[in-house]
Amino acid sequence: MWHIAKRELYDNLNSLRFALATVLLFGLMLTNAVVHLREHPVRVQKYHDAITESLNRLRARTDLYEIAQWGPELLHKKPSPLHFCTDGGDIVLPGTIYQSVSRITNDLYTFWYLSYRYRTPNSKNIRPATIKVDWEFVIGYVLSLIAILFTFDSISGERERGTLRLMLANSIPRHTVLLGKFLGALISISAPLTLAVLMNLLIISVSNNVQLDAEAWRRLGIVFFVAVLYLCLFLALGLLVSSRVQQNATSLVILLLIWVSFVVFIPSTLASIASGFSNPMTYDEYRERHDRLYSELGDEYNARLQGTRELPTERMQLTGEYVTKGAARGERLSHERLNQEHAQIQLARSVTRISPVAIVQHLIEAFAGTGFERHRQFVENVQDYAREYREFVGDMDRADPDSPHTIGVREGMSKKPVNPEAVPKFEDRLSLSRDFNTAAVDLLLLVLFFVVFFSGAYLAFVRVEV
Amino acid sequence: MLLTLIRRELLDNLMTFRFAAAVFITLLLVVANTVVLLKDYERRLAAYNTALKTHQDKVRELKAYSGYELNIDRPPNPLSIFNAGLDKRLGNQVRVYHAFVPTLWDAKMHGSDNPFLNIFTSIDIIFIFEVILSLIALLFAYDALAGEREQGTLRLVLAQSVRRGHILLAKYISAMLCLLVPLLLSLLLAMILLTNNRSVSFSPDDFLRIGGIVLTSLAYLSVFYFIGMLISEVSRRTSTALMLSMFIWGFLVLVYPNMILAVMSPSRPPRAQVDSAMKQMEQIWEEFDRERKDFLINDPVPGESIWFKIGAVGGSHEYLAKRALALDVHFRTGLNLEEINERSEPQVPYAQNYFRFLEPRVISTAEKTWLLREQGLKNIFVQPASMDRILLKFSPVGIYDSATQAWAGTDLHGIRDFFDAARQHRQRVIDYFYDTKVFGTRQWFAGDKQTVDWNALPQFSFKRSDIGINTERALPDVCLLLLINVILFTVIFLIFVKSEV
Repeated sequence: MWHIAKRELYDNLNSLRFALATVLLFGLMLTNAVVHLREHPVRVQKYHDAITESLNRLRARTDLYEIAQWGPELLHKKPSPLHFCTDGGDIVLPGTIYQSVSRITNDLYTFWYLSYRYRTPNSKNIRPATIKVDWEFVIGYVLSLIAILFTFDSISGERERGTLRLMLANSIPRHTVLLGKFLGALISISAPLTLAVLMNLLIISVSNNVQLDAEAWRRLGIVFFVAVLYLCLFLALGLLVSSRVQQNATSLVILLLIWVSFVVFIPSTLASIASGFSNPMTYDEYRERHDRLYSELGDEYNARLQGTRELPTERMQLTGEYVTKGAARGERLSHERLNQEHAQIQLARSVTRISPVAIVQHLIEAFAGTGFERHRQFVENVQDYAREYREFVGDMDRADPDSPHTIGVREGMSKKPVNPEAVPKFEDRLSLSRDFNTAAVDLLLLVLFFVVFFSGAYLAFVRVEV
Repeated sequence: MLLTLIRRELLDNLMTFRFAAAVFITLLLVVANTVVLLKDYERRLAAYNTALKTHQDKVRELKAYSGYELNIDRPPNPLSIFNAGLDKRLGNQVRVYHAFVPTLWDAKMHGSDNPFLNIFTSIDIIFIFEVILSLIALLFAYDALAGEREQGTLRLVLAQSVRRGHILLAKYISAMLCLLVPLLLSLLLAMILLTNNRSVSFSPDDFLRIGGIVLTSLAYLSVFYFIGMLISEVSRRTSTALMLSMFIWGFLVLVYPNMILAVMSPSRPPRAQVDSAMKQMEQIWEEFDRERKDFLINDPVPGESIWFKIGAVGGSHEYLAKRALALDVHFRTGLNLEEINERSEPQVPYAQNYFRFLEPRVISTAEKTWLLREQGLKNIFVQPASMDRILLKFSPVGIYDSATQAWAGTDLHGIRDFFDAARQHRQRVIDYFYDTKVFGTRQWFAGDKQTVDWNALPQFSFKRSDIGINTERALPDVCLLLLINVILFTVIFLIFVKSEV
């Protein structure tokens, strides 16, 4: 078997396609590194400026009521150091979560609540749209194409030349031949891929502007493993078609058409079809419900206020109740909208899993810490933090024996100055174990695809007549 | 002789597996995506119609002239199904009022879609052609000459008194005829789907535009066929030719367009240029503000307030708005009163005087900053974008894309036509204001006595540019494609004539 693999390897190393593939991979990886080094420091700087500004504003507040009313300022998503692996559509995902207050009556506002605004950066961008040259592009599109071009003739070609017959005349089991060919192709593509990846990482890690820590390297290792698995999948597909078909040309046509439809078209077509299944709340609908909610709340409040003309304590308690209730309802509404939108995207993403390139995209995104899943994690982090922040306000108020304990009204809350350092700070975290959990399904699917194609190739090759 | 050759080639090509596969896959992709794109178009059209209605109703609710602020909406272009270009992406509603000159950088999207959907790439029919047709053309061409050479049939054919040019021509014509089948068939099916849909209405001009798109597609197809033929001629062996064509395809279609922009283009606008333009515009508005305050101080009512001590229900605003990302500085000031106290009636003429003085100055200052802004927008946003498009044109895909966008009217020019129309509409409204001399009237800022007849104002209408202009915009790219065709053919011819068999 090693003999066959070695023969394949030497064959490939001398070929035109090996040279072209190497040049292509190196060129793309070099581009990727250069662009990353140019853009990443700017991104990181922007993030740091933004969080410093938010923190400064937060520190400037010492009054508990102010803290409770205005909330924790803008919360920013931490840019991933592995942005060069995949952009993951980060440019269209909001990197900041805002807080809003809404008006209940003319002079009564709710406390802060999380509201999710969106980024439509493209609505002013007149430059032509392109795909980012990142690892995902190199792996998803280019590597799979290369895999096809390396295997389409591996069996049909030998059959055309008649060397297959010669080889099988020796006492070599067929599966050994297949495995040998597979390994030969795998090694001859992985070699330039590995070198290109190493060059890319070398350039990126040598620069002072980008620091990769131990966890980043672990993640990169997993991404590389995913890339190799994906490569195997397309090699197996190539072998499958090649052993079923008599002619090189036919084999290539079939493979290219499969490649074009599954890699280029199916992900976006299926995503558009699947996103038509559900109709999340639109912004206009949201505005309407929001306005209705607060006008109803205002009427209710006014009606109940009538009965408390002479009772200042009750009045205060009522106001406090509505201020917090308004915030809770507003947050519930904006969550509802966000959840519906997320569900739509989630569905579309699961449907696109029919295409291996979408699976790989999801996997790389998960491990590089970019993209949609990462965004959901960010939103969850923010929601946890919001809870912590509100609890902090409650605790501070309870700790003050002089306070009337009516949260929502200035007179009803503790007047002791708060130490700004004690206010909880938002920290956007990423956890590898969580990413593993979200990625497990995709990883299994990828392995499954590979096993199916490889056993298909095996069966086809064993049963074929030479 | 030529006809015999063509017939032979045609039969050869038509009976192959690749032909069947090509037709099948093109039809499948085009039909499936047309259905998806149609649905998308219907949704955008519905959103446009709702937006149009709410915006018109909103204007009718206004009481005073100074509040005039029409949100005008950009209708989705039905030809965006062919090439979406910038049509889907750029903002589709813009506010028009007298104190501001609107551009596409001030446009917004109406909120009817899930913004997260942007993480999926969207495709259109031309994108399918870009990828599939070029691939098929190369698959038809890679063995055109190398294959015959390997089989030895080329020698046989040339042994007879056939001119070499004729062989090339026969191969080219028959292959193009074959390639036309998937192109035309899929377009035909797409057209059947489109014309049977009630929400899509094509004008006669649109059919001509689609005709232009078909012609451009043909030129594109033939460029790739020639590229394949050249490779086939140069490499002499089918396997080498195949490998080379596939890598060249991958490079031209997949890698080059994405790579060149990543490498060449800076990702953010030049800071210094933006700052200086912003500063200049701010100065103009500050000067305007000084003049305004001088007037307020010198008029009989003491103080700088624009309320002139009028007791009324209503609102006022005075602010300088700055948005560096859109290179925009504008000043808004105005008074909008619903009710005026009986006792402050004597004060009203002062306000009238003020606005009679102010509004023509607001308009002229807005126009003065617009001149600066137009230049700045051109330097900072438009020029890099056109630079990008020129870089993309080093690959036939880029030329094809930009030509079809020009035909469809979804290119930058097409979108800017709409904003030109918006500016013209603003001009008409201003002319109307001048003609009816509303600036000095009470109705300008107060809606208590009589309300405005909004129907008397000029109405906004937008028609896409006519076919002549589309042709003019598409022609350079189409000519470029044709030129590449001619050059490639000449090169192939020269090599083939001189080559030994």
